[in-house]
Amino acid sequence: MTMPEGWLTQLPAPAGTLEPVQRRGRLALSEHSFPSRRQESWRLTDLKRLEALFQLSLADQRSDCSNVESWPSVPALALRLVIDGTQDPLRGVTLPAGISVLEGAELQQALGHTLSRCRCASDWPVELNHGVSQQILALRIRGKVPPIELVMVADDSRLVPTRVLLLVEEKSEFDFLQVVSAKGQAAHSHLLEIHLGQESKVNHGLLALGDGREALLANLAVEQETRSHYSLVSVSQGWSFGRLEPRVVQVDGQASASIHGLSVTAADEQFAVHTAVRFEGPEGTLDQVQKTIAADRSHSIFNGAIQVPRPAQRTNASQLSRSLLLSGRARIDAKPELEIVADDVRCTHGATVSQLQEDQLFYLRSRGITHSSAAALLLRGYCKEVLDLLPLDASQRWLGGSLQVGGVNP
Amino acid sequence: MIRPDAEPLLEINDLHASVEDKPILKGVNLEVKAGEIHAVMGRNGSGKSTLSKVLAGHPAYQVTSGSVRYLGRDLLELEPEERSRLGVFLGFQYPIEIPGVSNLEFLRVSTNARREKQGKEEFDTFDFDDHVRDRLQVVQMDPAFLERSVNEGFSGGEKKRNEILQMALLDPVVAILDETDSGLDIDALRIVAGGVNQLASPDNCTLLITHYQRLLDEITPDYVHVMGAGRILRTGGSELALELEKTGYDWVDQQLAAEGVA
Amino acid sequence: MTSTSTRDLVSQPYKYGFVTDIETEKIAKGLSEEVVRLISSKKNEPEFLLDFRLKAYRHWLKLQEPDWAALGYKAIDYQDIVYYAAPKQQEKKQSLDEVDPKLLETFEKLGIPLSEQKRLSNVAVDAVFDSVSIATTYKEKLAEHGVVFCSFSEAVVEHPELIEKYLGSVVPSSDNYFAALNSAVFSDGSFVFIPKGVECPMELSTYFRINSGDTGQFERTLIVAEEGASVSYLEGCTAPMFDTNQLHAAVVELVVLDDASIKYSTVQNWYAGDENGVGGIYNFVTKRGQCRGDRSRISWTQVETGSAITWKYPSCVLQGADSVGEFYSVALTNNCQQADTGTKMVHVGPRTRSTIVSKGISAGRSSNSYRGLVQVGPNAKGARNYSQCDSMLIGDQAAANTYPYIRSQQPQAAIEHEASTCRMSEDQLFYLQSRGIGFEEAVSMMVSGFCRDVFNQLPMEFAAEADKLLALKLEGSVG
Repeated sequence: MTMPEGWLTQLPAPAGTLEPVQRRGRLALSEHSFPSRRQESWRLTDLKRLEALFQLSLADQRSDCSNVESWPSVPALALRLVIDGTQDPLRGVTLPAGISVLEGAELQQALGHTLSRCRCASDWPVELNHGVSQQILALRIRGKVPPIELVMVADDSRLVPTRVLLLVEEKSEFDFLQVVSAKGQAAHSHLLEIHLGQESKVNHGLLALGDGREALLANLAVEQETRSHYSLVSVSQGWSFGRLEPRVVQVDGQASASIHGLSVTAADEQFAVHTAVRFEGPEGTLDQVQKTIAADRSHSIFNGAIQVPRPAQRTNASQLSRSLLLSGRARIDAKPELEIVADDVRCTHGATVSQLQEDQLFYLRSRGITHSSAAALLLRGYCKEVLDLLPLDASQRWLGGSLQVGGVNP
Repeated sequence: MIRPDAEPLLEINDLHASVEDKPILKGVNLEVKAGEIHAVMGRNGSGKSTLSKVLAGHPAYQVTSGSVRYLGRDLLELEPEERSRLGVFLGFQYPIEIPGVSNLEFLRVSTNARREKQGKEEFDTFDFDDHVRDRLQVVQMDPAFLERSVNEGFSGGEKKRNEILQMALLDPVVAILDETDSGLDIDALRIVAGGVNQLASPDNCTLLITHYQRLLDEITPDYVHVMGAGRILRTGGSELALELEKTGYDWVDQQLAAEGVA
Repeated sequence: MTSTSTRDLVSQPYKYGFVTDIETEKIAKGLSEEVVRLISSKKNEPEFLLDFRLKAYRHWLKLQEPDWAALGYKAIDYQDIVYYAAPKQQEKKQSLDEVDPKLLETFEKLGIPLSEQKRLSNVAVDAVFDSVSIATTYKEKLAEHGVVFCSFSEAVVEHPELIEKYLGSVVPSSDNYFAALNSAVFSDGSFVFIPKGVECPMELSTYFRINSGDTGQFERTLIVAEEGASVSYLEGCTAPMFDTNQLHAAVVELVVLDDASIKYSTVQNWYAGDENGVGGIYNFVTKRGQCRGDRSRISWTQVETGSAITWKYPSCVLQGADSVGEFYSVALTNNCQQADTGTKMVHVGPRTRSTIVSKGISAGRSSNSYRGLVQVGPNAKGARNYSQCDSMLIGDQAAANTYPYIRSQQPQAAIEHEASTCRMSEDQLFYLQSRGIGFEEAVSMMVSGFCRDVFNQLPMEFAAEADKLLALKLEGSVG
């Protein structure tokens, strides 16, 4: 399997702010081989679906954001930005005090820094984004600023590359919700870098909703300085092919991170969540819960790496992966990876794969609730624990409070 | 309250049941009439909790022979939810925690399922809110518990009160309370027992499963049954419980040994 | 930490590191089809076995040495290894009196007396020295029960039909790089056959001793338990101290039929190299059992303390309905040792159950990885797995890695994995010391407490031994 001949050369010539990055990405794509199932991180991936991305057209000069009317209104004070890979998301927008655009030498200095610290700059999906991204949304956050809701859309068999960089200065506080939506067999290639300065706080939500036949490649690189707090809540559903890769590095320790994820797959979807958290200094913490629900013939993958090298004494990390397998034709792969060298650490992790709990079902049934309603209720509760954590009231506004999960088929 | 002419609500006949192919119940016979309170006592492992699970229809327990009739119909062929809707209530020894599922919603869905069967009108969310707040007083429970997930993070006493609240909402015909007293301090025990007493009426019946006298200090049973080796070995009035308190269960071993069972 | 530091204590040297001076018959170094044929002809093997070897060898040539484990070591030169070495003695002796006294003395020094007077009263032992089995005790007594316990070479002569039927049936010769190598050049090992309905009347044990410095050890163990049979088997291993590395690539195959059970315990104490990582055994072992029958059971217990490199994943394929697989492991690494070990539980049949308890202790600059796979196939309705993997780190230069991999295709199955990593707590050590318990004893109490769940699975005679072995291995590492 490879990239189709001539695919790189038909791309628009490198230009603009991202010109050097585009050159770098295209060189890497031409020199490095296409991902192979012999590589551990791609072993379970349906590479045909990755290859299918090359059949999509790259963003053209469309101007309309098709279904803006159907979007929920933005909460008071919050700023909504929209990116579709072509329009400038800041056109006609007045940025509130504390949020400014990062440009010129500052931007060039910051660009890619967090990717390198997270050791993912040369990952294939990142190089793909390098190669095709035409623009970047780069913001500096200073102080307590209003929340941002960033809506990213793709439709019409297009591959929409998006790149975002957030420089969160020390002691700043920021709520950030990304809504990634796609329809019409489109695909997203998304690359996000967030740098958290000392004592800053970022509350990050990612709500990724496909329509069943779309693809999502999302790489999130997060760099935390001391005493910063980073929270990520990701919810994904409806992607024929998806790969969400959050990577967090705590560069000098003493930072805290919490990562909560929910991925729901149905039909013949394949969705993979690869998280990696690396503690490079002492006294860092991590609280991670990843939930997955696999129905029908779908395939859900979770791979969670935690690295605690020697300087990371007194790290406290916990990771829990809970998977629900709802159908006899679905498949779940869960693979935690813990690598620990420091001795004074507390690391726990756990993983469960099962269907809905028999004792919970019985308890509900003994109160007169039918098997199928009980199952639906339990599934809703299972999802709600993650949904409720999304910032900007996203669960209520975008989902009406719950996800529809079908396919209970024991 | 014993009334000779009262209608039999629950008739258990030579009931045998197993879990994972291991026989636990070995011929239980018991008739409970309207208005009566029965206490089933016995040591751990005597089969009393199994009896309650079998009556509620827990899928892990297989009935191998015998019958249970409830209001004249075959209880054993009903799904657990059907039993609940028809008025069979099991108060769990260990109420299950269900993260993410709101307690209030759970109570509303189950109450409406029962009411529909009773031919009563279903509550909408507002009416139910009023109704549940009214019933909360039966167990003196803080309304804050309604907003939390089902039993999640509840203390032992709070879980048991939540069970009795469900009983108050579901208006059962047969209430089976499995070790409702376990893990309760004396104040919580009084509140729970007070709830049970309030809910007892001439039209329903209560089956208390316990191995301590202390619950029976608060709720006076009409009959006390002692279980051992999967059967009811002795039946008496409330004085039997007091006797057990003094003499313990050693006579059970002797009786079983004499019968060549243990 | 407290003023008493065991780092100051003198580490006790490896006490099995001596070399037996005995005349040895060796073939020339190197591996080729001729060498494979030579080994086979030296053992007068039937045609089918030579074919098995050649097929394996030709397949091996096409394979690449695996590199996915968390291990780093100098490339192995497969042409610089002697593939057959045997102490010079004529035919296998009819009685122990005829065995070279030097060999008997060697095993006696290892704590495995073989002579009639001194041998263990309730354990039958097969003693393997370099490439060959030199003696098996209690053979006759076992034969009375229909139990076959003998060296692999003898089994080939006396029970060729059983060997042909079962050899390679669990671990095919093409299974992996090291299994293919073993299948081509294996020299000896143990064979156990427990017929239908027989409960083996005593513990069976094989003791492996590497003596030569340039010899690879490639033994093969095959245990078959027919319907309703049961056996408990233990293997022990030691080697002299050399400053070169010796390759040990063994294959163990277990087959259990309906209602049968095999309990397989290992206390592995191969030479681990010195504190700078010079010398030591490269231990690349393929162990797999197949629960073919309904309600069958395989239990692996391992205490891994030796070897410079350990690459080992005793596994269970749970085919029969209601079959049970268990894996209990203590792996201790110190100094420069590297261990990558764990298990695979493959649930094929309905209601199959497995339990994994793994305890890793890493000290010094060592690296200790648990790597496991729990796989539940579409037909394994009602399957259950519980895994617990705990790591204890001693000192801030040791690594503990955990890679528990779960794959499920069956909704009506429950898989549960728990893991934790902790250090030996100063508070706990201090508490013990403040109650008058010496530092070393406190350490060893904590370690054996940490490993208790696994030691409880070992046959009684060996549990105390394992406890002592661990304490010994850790001396000087806590401070």
